[in-house]
Amino acid sequence: MAKEIGKDKFGSFYVAGSRVRNRREWRGVKDTLYDYSRWLVIMGTLGKFLMKPRNVKAMFRYRWMANYLAVPMMVDRHTQGLRQEYLRMCHIEQDLIIDDVAKLLGNLFRGDRRTGNDTEFSKKVVLVDENEMTAVMMGFPMLKCLSRETPSTYVSVLLNQHAAEHYIDVAQEFGLAGDVCPMPEAEAGVSIDDDAPVLGACAVQCNTTCDGSLLGNGVISRRLEKEDGIPVFQLAAPLRHREDDVQEYAAQEIRNAIAFIEQHTGAKWDWTEYFECAKRVNYATKCRQEWLDMNRTDYPQVFGSNLALYTETNYMAICGRIAAFEKADRKLTRLAEQAFKAKKRAAKEYRHRAIIWGVQSHYYMDFLVWLLNCWGIVPLTDMLSMVSTRKIAEEDTPENREQAYYDMAWLTENMIMRNRTHGGYKVLLDELWEFTEQFNADMVILWEHMSCKALDGMHGLFEDRARELGIHLVWVSHDLFDPRIISRQGVRDQINNYMRTVMREEPIDPSLEILPDEESW
Amino acid sequence: MKDLKHLIFFEDLLLEANNKLVQQAQSDGRKCIAYVCENTPEPLLNLEGTFSVRLRAPRTGSIDVATYYLTSFLCEFSRALLERAIEGGYNFADCVITPDGCSMMNRCVENMELLSAVSKDKKDFFYEYMEIPMKADDNGLNLYVLQCKNHILKPLAEKFGIDTSDAAIRKAVAKYNRIAELIRAIGDYRKGPNPTITGYEFAVLTLATYVAPKDLILDRLEETLEELKTREPDAKNPFRARVVVVGSEVDDTEFIKLVEESGAFVCADRYCYGSLPGRDPIVLTDDEDALTQICRTYMNRGQCPRYMNTEKMDARRTYVDSLAKEYGADGIIYEQMKFCDPWAYEKMLGSHILREEFGYPVLAVDRPYNIAGSGQMRTRVQAFVESIEIKKIQGGAQNG
Repeated sequence: MAKEIGKDKFGSFYVAGSRVRNRREWRGVKDTLYDYSRWLVIMGTLGKFLMKPRNVKAMFRYRWMANYLAVPMMVDRHTQGLRQEYLRMCHIEQDLIIDDVAKLLGNLFRGDRRTGNDTEFSKKVVLVDENEMTAVMMGFPMLKCLSRETPSTYVSVLLNQHAAEHYIDVAQEFGLAGDVCPMPEAEAGVSIDDDAPVLGACAVQCNTTCDGSLLGNGVISRRLEKEDGIPVFQLAAPLRHREDDVQEYAAQEIRNAIAFIEQHTGAKWDWTEYFECAKRVNYATKCRQEWLDMNRTDYPQVFGSNLALYTETNYMAICGRIAAFEKADRKLTRLAEQAFKAKKRAAKEYRHRAIIWGVQSHYYMDFLVWLLNCWGIVPLTDMLSMVSTRKIAEEDTPENREQAYYDMAWLTENMIMRNRTHGGYKVLLDELWEFTEQFNADMVILWEHMSCKALDGMHGLFEDRARELGIHLVWVSHDLFDPRIISRQGVRDQINNYMRTVMREEPIDPSLEILPDEESW
Repeated sequence: MKDLKHLIFFEDLLLEANNKLVQQAQSDGRKCIAYVCENTPEPLLNLEGTFSVRLRAPRTGSIDVATYYLTSFLCEFSRALLERAIEGGYNFADCVITPDGCSMMNRCVENMELLSAVSKDKKDFFYEYMEIPMKADDNGLNLYVLQCKNHILKPLAEKFGIDTSDAAIRKAVAKYNRIAELIRAIGDYRKGPNPTITGYEFAVLTLATYVAPKDLILDRLEETLEELKTREPDAKNPFRARVVVVGSEVDDTEFIKLVEESGAFVCADRYCYGSLPGRDPIVLTDDEDALTQICRTYMNRGQCPRYMNTEKMDARRTYVDSLAKEYGADGIIYEQMKFCDPWAYEKMLGSHILREEFGYPVLAVDRPYNIAGSGQMRTRVQAFVESIEIKKIQGGAQNG
């Protein structure tokens, strides 16, 4: 047990066949007390959640709810080895996300016809996809924008690597080919299994991220419209999002979506609230840019999963609508600047500076922590964090009200991941090498989400270009939601093999090279 | 039945992408517009001075190099096209125009571009990528029109000096309609109880209209239609069931042959490269520009699963039902190219809906690009035919 960063042998925390680790980490008195106090807060959030009978009922009704028992463990996986500012940054983010998800669950079950059945509340709910920017809800503060897929599949897999397997199997038993992306496949499986809360005045689906998401939505909308009687608007975001000649189409889709929501909820779009949200979006962009600027130096501060998970949530799911995230942005920036001034580092040794590209393995989100602790590879930034940097109009003027439709369209088109996987090869292929240079990276860790066709379709050209530029390109294959195809150890082995055979290096913490975490949450 | 007089001629056209009629048209000074997706409005590619060729890769062998570039997870169609491009098989093309119909076709063409795999020695050669609507509505139509202007008409005019006026487009539609009407009329001979054309023969004729300059096959199609008027069917119908084939890209006529050899007559073809609705005539009026009307027709009739609004999704299934009724089908075969995301979902939902809500026997299969040698597929179709026969004997769907 050690206070110093990197003294512990983290591999010894794992127990074969167990879902949890054998003990918590000792980080010195101050950091351990801080970490423990945050653990208590999380337990408090869970306890509060379970005080409501409808939530307990939901625990028994919805199969995926059992995964939420693993919340404290998920946080522990992401804080491994962290001290001081880095530990606090992680908790600020994760605790806020947990609180946000707990509220989301509470609201879903409040309106759910099978549990809370609060019909008046349900009339104020607009269902949205998990894979969808929520920009179109920025001017509807009187409505609740809720995603059913976020808690049932997206967060569930973060909590428990095996969470989606049942739903993937359900979809395949129903006749879906096994080679599609398991994310929309699992979401479709939840719908086929009739295992999603039923509520809402209407729903807005979106074609983001990809062909799979678009088609998976067809399965979900069928149940929503034909069985549950919930009208659905399909929001089409153009694929070639960098082209000028698609923006009018995109903006009109936003206008149509807003009109649909107004029609089905009776709510009226609120410009004042919209521009408040726009200010927060801009502030989040500014903060993210500052963090990325720091990551271009020798002292990166907000990086790895601290950057990735938070950006996904704040940029896409929140989209300026919740003030608490602005507060978190401010705190995170303050901590990052403090550590940057003191030239602090998050791990014992930094050996390689890496850009993480492609779509990360969802069942192994803490892989980036492992990468740093085991091999000293610093994940400076990741593809899903390289989102829009454009400042959107934030003053309420007649011109800006018109511009706002284009801004919302721009944000929707530039949803995380799809802003890179779609829109032509430049955004996926060419810009990677520009970032590699900007961040002074010597390595690219390229997640190969094997059933992501948009990504796979550039495989050979990634290799060709990396070879031309002399950059170490390490492929890490995975199947996003399904660890039965490539396990967490299978993911690690791809790095281990490269580092040993090509780089001829020894790990910083050899105990992490092979971990018995097949059964682990 | 006696062989169709021009069948071998049409079959011969399908053996090479750069077939003899393509060569003939180019030697006459016409520009070859290559494209890869049914959502590209064909009449716009067949203006005076141009002709279209929808790319395919007949007689595909190894696709190892394309698999390196695209991985084994992209559909074999996209890989076969890229492989053929790398081999130099499309160097006859003067440009490639493609919509972002699906990720795989988009990546396939992008790889062609980045690898300079097609016609790199032609100085005016260009690639154009189009955004196309995902819903059939006014907004989608506006987009479609704008994209066709910017990514088809404008480059054709600027690069090749093609007349893209409304009058020129109307002329192209008239020529397109002549072919479409012929194919429709020929296809109608599939409707009878003992049809005078097989699904395979019809697939060959239809496919030829996609891959050869249309004006150069017009006379033979007309002759074929005349021939069908007096063609005597076999005394005993060799088929035991009639099926509609529904699904993703099929440019392998051997697949249709395999289905028919297994006892199922393909009475209607609802797949990419098929005639339904791909060979429906385009009706133009004088009160609106031709381009808008063409785009509206393509958008409204499109059966591609990328159309995601509920009305379109429902319409895809009712369209199959209407075809089954019109062509007297006993069952439906939903097929998808292996690794095709859009059709993976559409096949799953469509097969359930057509079976459970419309009451048809449905076979759902996935298939590679080249199918002829597949014993597995043959067995599945044979079993499907038997199940239809048993249902007929037992008195229909009510008995399971």
